[in-house]
Amino acid sequence: MSPPRSTSAPRPTGSIRADQEAWFFCLRILGGRYAFEAPLVTEVVRLGPLTRLPAAPSFLPGVFTHRGEVLAVLDIGQLVGQGPIAIRASTRAAVVHCAPWKVAVISDGLEGLVVIPHRQLEPPPAESSGMAEFLSGVARDAQGTIAVLDLPRLVEAARSRAVPAGGAGE
Amino acid sequence: MTGQFSELLMFQVGARVFASTVRDVVRIGNVADAPPGALVEGTSLGATFARERGIVVAAPEGGTESTLVVDQVLGVRSVPEAEIQSLPAFAAAVIRSGAVSGLVLLDEAPTLIVDLPTLIRERLEPAPGRSPPPVATA
Repeated sequence: MSPPRSTSAPRPTGSIRADQEAWFFCLRILGGRYAFEAPLVTEVVRLGPLTRLPAAPSFLPGVFTHRGEVLAVLDIGQLVGQGPIAIRASTRAAVVHCAPWKVAVISDGLEGLVVIPHRQLEPPPAESSGMAEFLSGVARDAQGTIAVLDLPRLVEAARSRAVPAGGAGE
Repeated sequence: MTGQFSELLMFQVGARVFASTVRDVVRIGNVADAPPGALVEGTSLGATFARERGIVVAAPEGGTESTLVVDQVLGVRSVPEAEIQSLPAFAAAVIRSGAVSGLVLLDEAPTLIVDLPTLIRERLEPAPGRSPPPVATA
């Protein structure tokens, strides 16, 4: 499947059942293919100039504006300790809404929508560190292995791991 | 502040431009004229290059004034309040500083609005068990 070329939202999907196909949004992060539930993605945007924030954790490289709205950028690579994702002029981000948070997830490349029959989803590996901690499943398609992320849990983990202003130290 | 506009003082620390509300500022001065004990630098806004100018901020409840060391004071801009936005909720929830009170879109780029009293307080009185906010690199 070719990468999306517009900023339109991916097709929404219904609930996932064992005998149905599920839509996922696939991207490349630090050499791996990762996906999360497509309905979380509201649009794909080209990353504008970043404004860095003081005292921000490494997984928040900055904020940028899109159609007058300021969006926070999430670097999943930094969050899971695998290093920063390079930000280039061509970098695009998937804007995701994991209530109550809305963030722009950057990656090394966006593949776009993939369809995975739910019966082909396998349990994630038993590891509990790095990216594996946030996997909800693993699937395979013609391009290879896709690791399915539990994105809401990942975003919530980012929030809880950070030390907010005035909060207790870690 | 007048009507639907906010008066913002624009200043530069390192390569970056910030804004603060004019009402937080007592006066602008030279660093050389400020008492050494009143100078505040090494904040989370980053390192200064020239450290020539100082933004004097009143201390709460009769304390001594503090002078935030900056590189340049760029002037005052009158900005429609409609152009001032809150920090995105996720960003506000994870940054380790409460000194960013919002953002204003200037030339289509988000410029941080800094709460100067909070910035200085965080530098001088870090929360127990915590280091001062890390200094951003340019």
